[in-house]
Amino acid sequence: MITQRGFLVVFAGVLLLTSGFSFINFYLVLLGVYCVIGLVVTLPLFALTANLAGIEVDRQIDKVKVFSGDFLRVRVTIRNVSRRHFDFIEVHDQYPETWILAIGENFMASRIEPGSSMTFSYILQARMRGRYYLGPTEVIMRDRLGLHYYKRILKEQTEVLVYPTWKDVRRLESFAKQRQLGLMFGAHRTKTVGMGTDFAGFREYVPGDEFRLIDWKSSAKRGDMVIKQWEQEKNVQIICMVDTSGSMGNGYPENTKLEYAIRAAVLLTYMGLERKDLVGTCVFSDLVHGYVPPGTRPNHMYDVLEVLAMAEPQGWSDYETAISHVVTQSKKRSLIIWLTDLERSPAPLLNAMKTLVANGHKSLVISPFGPWFEAPVGQFGPVEKVLSEAVSEELWERRNKIARALSRFGINVINVGPEDFLPTIMQTYEQAKQRGVAMF
Amino acid sequence: MAYLVYSILDPNDIWHWDAPYAFVVTVFRLLSLIVFFLATTMVSGLASAFSGGIMPENMIVGLYNTLVLRTWYMQPYGVTDPLTNVQEVWASFQMNLNNVLFALWDNTFLFLYFLCAGIGIVLFLQSLVRMDHRFVGGAFLSIQAIIILAAFRALIVPDIAPFPADFMEFFLTQGQILALVSFAYLEVSYQMIYSASVGKPVEDREETLKKQLLALRQATRKQDAIERGEKVSTTGMSRSTGATAFSFLREAMERKVMGGQSALESLDAVSDVRRLQIYVDDLLQTDSRARDELTAKAAAPSPMYVIGSTITGSAIRFLTVVAVSFMLMNPNFIQMVLNLPIGIQNSVELIQPEIVVLFLVPVVGIFPMAAAVISWISKREVVEKEKLTKEEKEAEKLRKSELDRKRKEASKARRERAKARRKRKGDESGVDEWDKALDDAFKR
Repeated sequence: MITQRGFLVVFAGVLLLTSGFSFINFYLVLLGVYCVIGLVVTLPLFALTANLAGIEVDRQIDKVKVFSGDFLRVRVTIRNVSRRHFDFIEVHDQYPETWILAIGENFMASRIEPGSSMTFSYILQARMRGRYYLGPTEVIMRDRLGLHYYKRILKEQTEVLVYPTWKDVRRLESFAKQRQLGLMFGAHRTKTVGMGTDFAGFREYVPGDEFRLIDWKSSAKRGDMVIKQWEQEKNVQIICMVDTSGSMGNGYPENTKLEYAIRAAVLLTYMGLERKDLVGTCVFSDLVHGYVPPGTRPNHMYDVLEVLAMAEPQGWSDYETAISHVVTQSKKRSLIIWLTDLERSPAPLLNAMKTLVANGHKSLVISPFGPWFEAPVGQFGPVEKVLSEAVSEELWERRNKIARALSRFGINVINVGPEDFLPTIMQTYEQAKQRGVAMF
Repeated sequence: MAYLVYSILDPNDIWHWDAPYAFVVTVFRLLSLIVFFLATTMVSGLASAFSGGIMPENMIVGLYNTLVLRTWYMQPYGVTDPLTNVQEVWASFQMNLNNVLFALWDNTFLFLYFLCAGIGIVLFLQSLVRMDHRFVGGAFLSIQAIIILAAFRALIVPDIAPFPADFMEFFLTQGQILALVSFAYLEVSYQMIYSASVGKPVEDREETLKKQLLALRQATRKQDAIERGEKVSTTGMSRSTGATAFSFLREAMERKVMGGQSALESLDAVSDVRRLQIYVDDLLQTDSRARDELTAKAAAPSPMYVIGSTITGSAIRFLTVVAVSFMLMNPNFIQMVLNLPIGIQNSVELIQPEIVVLFLVPVVGIFPMAAAVISWISKREVVEKEKLTKEEKEAEKLRKSELDRKRKEASKARRERAKARRKRKGDESGVDEWDKALDDAFKR
């Protein structure tokens, strides 16, 4: 293949040759011949040495799973396993478009001797959750004068799973630190006496009680042995239903309804795990893509993150299939929080709620309202403005009707926008804890 | 090369140093005539419309004086004083237009020689600083363009006619020396560009990394200072070391400044910069090779080797090109190879430059063909396939079958639910309260 530089030489050669022919000038012809011969004379030698099959590229990364916004070092090693040197080799290691090259360069050019290798690295910032691939690597070999080149694309790719962003949790942590919030479990009080931290009362000692439970001070005052009792603390079980239907993908990139729903699910799981509550996650559209049952295992958070990382906005919302799956998997009373935009027909949703209530679960719908996630009306022209307002009103009316129908059975629908999505999920969780919904 | 061209073309007496000035003056004169012609035509048209077809002469003369003389302070050709009679003006116009056009034609070439020489020298100087093949190629073509233009004007230009049959005689010809010098310039410049470019990426990487780390450090320090409540004197970093040199920081700053939810976006941007600083510090501390890998220091080739190989490579290429070109153009070689009848051998066609094409095209074709054959023999064309391990393939297969299974199950469940619902509807024994709620809500 001829490079741009090569074409310049061809142009010069042809110009000089034709000028020489036109003006019957051997000097111009000779120079034209020099250019043309100079272009091709070393081509066979270049073909002989340019054994691109002798180039091996090895890519190494520090972690295969990272959080959105995290940094990742990529090390690329190029080996020349052939017996010939490469005068000039360019290596471009490709990375996903949405990522940011933070430090270094994903490009290297140098000369490489036979049997030797060269390594370069660069640091990327993973920006959006999902499954990504680093690579392929483009290897270009040029001759010394840069007149010809051979190109090879090494399709070897490195898979990286990007979890949803952890920044909300970081914010929450810093907020909690500021307010000196305790991270102890069981914020909800019950009237049940048992192990806990809140004082419930005294009772007389009966044989069989543990000695450590005796309150010696009160016993001394009374002259009889007294046991100090505490209010037992219980936890709640929550299942977060994340709708990943196509309509959830609407909105600004990185700020779609689905992204907010995922961030809310991560936040909820984190808060639940911190307080030893059981939080499960179900990712669904027209089928259940993933379900992590409520649990407190050490890897529970990562299981949830993995399921959420893979979520893609596609298909339609089949609430009934999703709830059937969850109900068969989880027998305990749970608070089921739906994160859905309610843009499907209401009948299946009501049927799903019916199943849910019949199985003794409580439910709540946190619904991102589409127009609030899209471009502000101010950015539109007059026609688009009127149309968008009409659509918004229609959608609003529709979801009000669904909300009215659901409220008859004690199921609330909370409409949220980008600003109040995360605060709403936190508030909902706190209220559930306070009210003692779905305790176990 | 430029000097050789200058000295070879000097006998033509073309290097008049006032040629550019003469060209510009001629252009202006031509323009003045054209402007005058257009102006008088328009004014005549307008005047004749108002005065019944009679053209007021004084007005035209006045117009000419205003437009041409007062504006550009020039006289029309062949006239010393301002013209007062429009007929004289017209006569002068007709007479001078040809003169001006001829003068312009001559001056254009003189001007072009200077222009090409100027462009060539400027591009040559640029190529010394920037090491870019476009400047080298441009300088080469500009200087050769002078000879092409001179050849067009049938001036005395370097020529090698008749083409010598003896190599040494050919080698020492004035035209050959100029051709050799010109080609050597192109060749050596490209080799030098290679020498520069093979080590430059490593230097550039090192420089970029330094700037990036410095910018990152400055940004973090500045942020710390702001948090401590100290006043920060500068609002931004310098262009060379700061945000412009570092896309990540630039992007972070944009997010900070332009962010929709300003407070949170700003917090994120600051947090990102700080986390990157921590990440880089940690990396550089824990991995001793990290800095070298980021700069790819180890990939830099030995300068001595590069220089040595450049000299030998140039010499070999140079000699090969000259030898092959001589063979292609040598009439004896052509006659020997073609073994033509004596009548054709003595034909004038064989001493024409076009005869070169007879061998040039096939010989030029041989080299890429040889390269293609070599590539084919050594099976260079690597067919790249997605490299998936057995486990990965199995996992992918499993994932797909799992998805299919889920789909089937979901559709089966849906069908069953629909069936049950139809059955219930047909029953009509009692209206479900959920359905009623839905009906009520949507009836309103």
